[in-house]
Amino acid sequence: MSTVATFEIRHDRILGPDGKLEGEAPPFARDRDKLVALYRWMVLTRAFDAKAVALQRTGRLGTFASSIGQEAVNIGVADAMAPEDVLLPSFREHGAQLVRGVTMRELLVYWGGDERGSDFAGPREDFPVCIPVGTHAPHAAGVALAFKLRNEARVAVCIFGDGATSRGDVYEAMNVAGVWALPVVFISNNNQWAISVPRKAQTAAETLAQKAIAAGFEGRQVDGNDIVAVRQATAEALDKARRGGGPTLIEALTYRLGDHTTVDDASRYRDDEEVGRRWKEEPIARLRTHLAAAHGWGKAEEEALIAACAAEVEEATEAYLTTEPEPPEAMFDHMYEELPAELVRQRAALLGQE
Amino acid sequence: MARRRVKSETSAGTGELTLVEAVQRALARAMEEDETVILLGEDIGVDGGVFRATDGLIARFGADRVRDTPLAEALIGGLPVGLAAMGFRPVAEIQFMGFIYPVLDQIVNHAARLRNRTRGRLSCPMVLRAPYGGGIHAPEHHSESMEAMFAHIPGLRVVIPSSPAKAYGLLLAAIRDPDPVIFLEPKRVYRATREAVVDEGSALPLDRCFTVRDGADVTLVSWGAMLKETLEAAEMLAGDGVEAEVLDVATLKPLDMETILESVRKTGRCIIVHEAPLTGGFGAEIAARLAGEGLMHLVAPVERVAGWDTVMPLLRLEGQYMPSPQRIVAAVRRVLEYA
Amino acid sequence: MAEVFKLPDLGEGLQEAEIVAWHVGVGDHVVTDQPLVSVETDKAVVEVPAPHSGRIAALHGEPGDVLAVGAPLVEFAAGAAADKGAIVGKVAAAEEKAPKPDKAPARDKAKAAPAVRRLAAQLGVDLAAVTATGPGGTVTKADVERAAGEVAVAEPLRGVRRAMFHNMTRAGRDIVPATVTDEADIESWPDKTDVTIRLIRAIAAACKASPALNAWFDADTLTRRVHERIELGIAVETEDGLFAPVMHDIGNRDADDLRRGIEAMKKDIAARAIPPEQLVGQTITLSNFGMFGGRFADLVVVPPQVAILGAGRAEMRIVAVDGAPAAHKLLPLSLSFDHRVVTGVEAARFLNAVIEDLEKAE
Repeated sequence: MSTVATFEIRHDRILGPDGKLEGEAPPFARDRDKLVALYRWMVLTRAFDAKAVALQRTGRLGTFASSIGQEAVNIGVADAMAPEDVLLPSFREHGAQLVRGVTMRELLVYWGGDERGSDFAGPREDFPVCIPVGTHAPHAAGVALAFKLRNEARVAVCIFGDGATSRGDVYEAMNVAGVWALPVVFISNNNQWAISVPRKAQTAAETLAQKAIAAGFEGRQVDGNDIVAVRQATAEALDKARRGGGPTLIEALTYRLGDHTTVDDASRYRDDEEVGRRWKEEPIARLRTHLAAAHGWGKAEEEALIAACAAEVEEATEAYLTTEPEPPEAMFDHMYEELPAELVRQRAALLGQE
Repeated sequence: MARRRVKSETSAGTGELTLVEAVQRALARAMEEDETVILLGEDIGVDGGVFRATDGLIARFGADRVRDTPLAEALIGGLPVGLAAMGFRPVAEIQFMGFIYPVLDQIVNHAARLRNRTRGRLSCPMVLRAPYGGGIHAPEHHSESMEAMFAHIPGLRVVIPSSPAKAYGLLLAAIRDPDPVIFLEPKRVYRATREAVVDEGSALPLDRCFTVRDGADVTLVSWGAMLKETLEAAEMLAGDGVEAEVLDVATLKPLDMETILESVRKTGRCIIVHEAPLTGGFGAEIAARLAGEGLMHLVAPVERVAGWDTVMPLLRLEGQYMPSPQRIVAAVRRVLEYA
Repeated sequence: MAEVFKLPDLGEGLQEAEIVAWHVGVGDHVVTDQPLVSVETDKAVVEVPAPHSGRIAALHGEPGDVLAVGAPLVEFAAGAAADKGAIVGKVAAAEEKAPKPDKAPARDKAKAAPAVRRLAAQLGVDLAAVTATGPGGTVTKADVERAAGEVAVAEPLRGVRRAMFHNMTRAGRDIVPATVTDEADIESWPDKTDVTIRLIRAIAAACKASPALNAWFDADTLTRRVHERIELGIAVETEDGLFAPVMHDIGNRDADDLRRGIEAMKKDIAARAIPPEQLVGQTITLSNFGMFGGRFADLVVVPPQVAILGAGRAEMRIVAVDGAPAAHKLLPLSLSFDHRVVTGVEAARFLNAVIEDLEKAE
């Protein structure tokens, strides 16, 4: 007998649940302004999430997938990206999209049932959300191949959940990324639940990160409630990809504190006790504790920040609620670059012009 | 090292080509004129594709642009979406119709709707090539004709050439088209005939049915490999003084119904011929459109001569499955009774 | 005026919800997003928050009551901010703009295809009175026409006659025709001179003198191909219609060869067995219509060709010979050309060359 391969999966945590920096912290973790900026994005994301749920509950938004509890994954990943990189989100990455320059109004317009919400004014090459789980992973490989063929120092960043790692196309995408050493970073936002199916029922593998080993590249795990670790791991993976070092899979361990979506009721399949325990590890309180302890973050600053975020959310909500729907023919107008004759006819029929 | 036949390469000019050679020429022409054209698929590189449709292209354009993928069809459907959104024009190959189903997810959920769901911000100018149809005694899962599945998907174009010249012109048009195109190649015709093909980069229109035979008594509508049997039937009928007009649909989606209606206004009778199973086949769409828009010109029932509603039989029975010229002639005889 | 907040669709297509517990009471002032009530739907227990701030004027329903989606849930006292209105869950239906149909007309019992019914209506034929000869007792077009007492049954144009229709329609639509005429003095021809052979040779000579007439013009691309090789179409009338089989490469064939070609062509025509390749590719056409009668004619140029030469009936005519009247045999000639691409001078030069060649001794 001989051993032909072994592997180990590295796990990183820099900011502990008690708000203290552990081990070697990167320079940005000592930069108050940077930490406050990250903190602000997380608070804003949570305020946005809460407002979106309230809008749905009052009949003013469609089904919405809250990202509550996963703000560190969202913000940490997107903040590490360069503007020219391309984000391929799943449907729970509002925070990452906001950091990338998608506006809250655009997100609400999309979740309010209007395609224009995916016509981002900001990051023009970022992909829209991907609802069929994991099907966007092959797109990320394609985007990365485009960068590689053009010799551009850009990286595709694809975020999916824990459930997605059970899907064939996620593996197919990782596999080709490995073979072709594509500049792509895969992020598994492991929030422990794929609707009602817990992580342990999803795969017998000890980690999701090790799925990268089968595809021939590095998989690593971070504490997904530690924004410092998430941001640092992502930055390292991006840097490696940009230098031609190929893909990385980062499994970010976090927890879905909310329901799967507004049409889900998580109390049907998981204990309040578990959720209560997980609230103690959530990322925003963790960074706030650290800011207070290490950087003198006080009540006045906190209240001003929360008020500012609430105002920003209100303004976006107002802008969303006053957005007129598209005229009905809009459903035709972007089907093809040039509308075929039959669709011209159907469009006229819709408008009663036939 | 295995023996390899190397075909001579000419950059332009006219020659008698088979359909598969015409596909190769069109791919080469497109790659030459547009460096964003990238080929992807299984065994398309050094091997030149299982049908040799990409023969010699890796030597000419390099492994960056003629990429052998891992054996992963969902990837072959999905990776081009990313490439296309970033400004490339990928042409992906699926080896056989029976292996195309994992790709459907990507085509339905992404390729066909990326432009619409981003209101034109991103688009997907990709081509998905696949051989289809029976008649070459291939193994199970290799011989189906599932074009109707694709024709049902909003946002696509679905193109099926019937001859070398059409394959050349339509494939160039498909690659240059700004939206996703499913390009299904009749593999029974791949090497069955030769035709003069002018390799000068001229595309054919993607929204047109072609009238391939003129006639006043009955309209025969078909596409792809079935044009052969349909034209044979027309020839048999001509011997009896019956003039059949034969239309090659070529582009199923968007359908050029006007050309079909124009012909039926003249003949009053229509037979639709396809290899795919009868029920829910694309012939049903044409028949329904005729009932709606051509009824006042019909003197006889519209008939469909199609594959049976059976699983595509293995090779020993496939000849019994495929519509024959005799079946087409019999259908014409029936509708001619409505004098 | 009180403002009513109605129960929204809290899921996807849910119809109702049961009130579990109220979290506010009448008279309370609530702020935006403050929980108002917990309700249980078919899918989940959810909290419904206040859509805006205001004072509660009334609550609708007690715990245990089931409210339909859209039913009043909470009334806010006057002065509250106006509800922006539910924008999700209410699907605006496309308006039905079709006019109301009249009562369906009574249907006769005859079995006839729509096209046959239309014909019957046009001819004033009562379908019920027609003897049906079609499959399964259907009335056919021919049945209707017989019943209408039409002597001639309408029949589609076929074969050569249909091709003539297409060619002439295209020519009539596309060409800008002009015609120049003249006569050739063929008094010197020996008896039994083959007029057709002489005309063919004259055209070959004229194409050398004025090549612009032996050409194809493509109006779509505005391109012209002037041919070196002369592929002469010879217009032939048959009972079936008009067509023009090709004499290949007439510029490089001697008289015997041409004669053999014409004989073969005559046989093919008689047998209606002209090979398809001999029906396409004409670069210029000759019409020897004088065999049937007529002297001069405006001939139809068939695209992509640009010229056609016609020879009328040869007759004895008085002409001036050395200043004195003399009776000579004259062959009338008409040259029609597409004036979009051929100039009058080119046409005249061509016709002069034809005459010069015809008037040469054999």
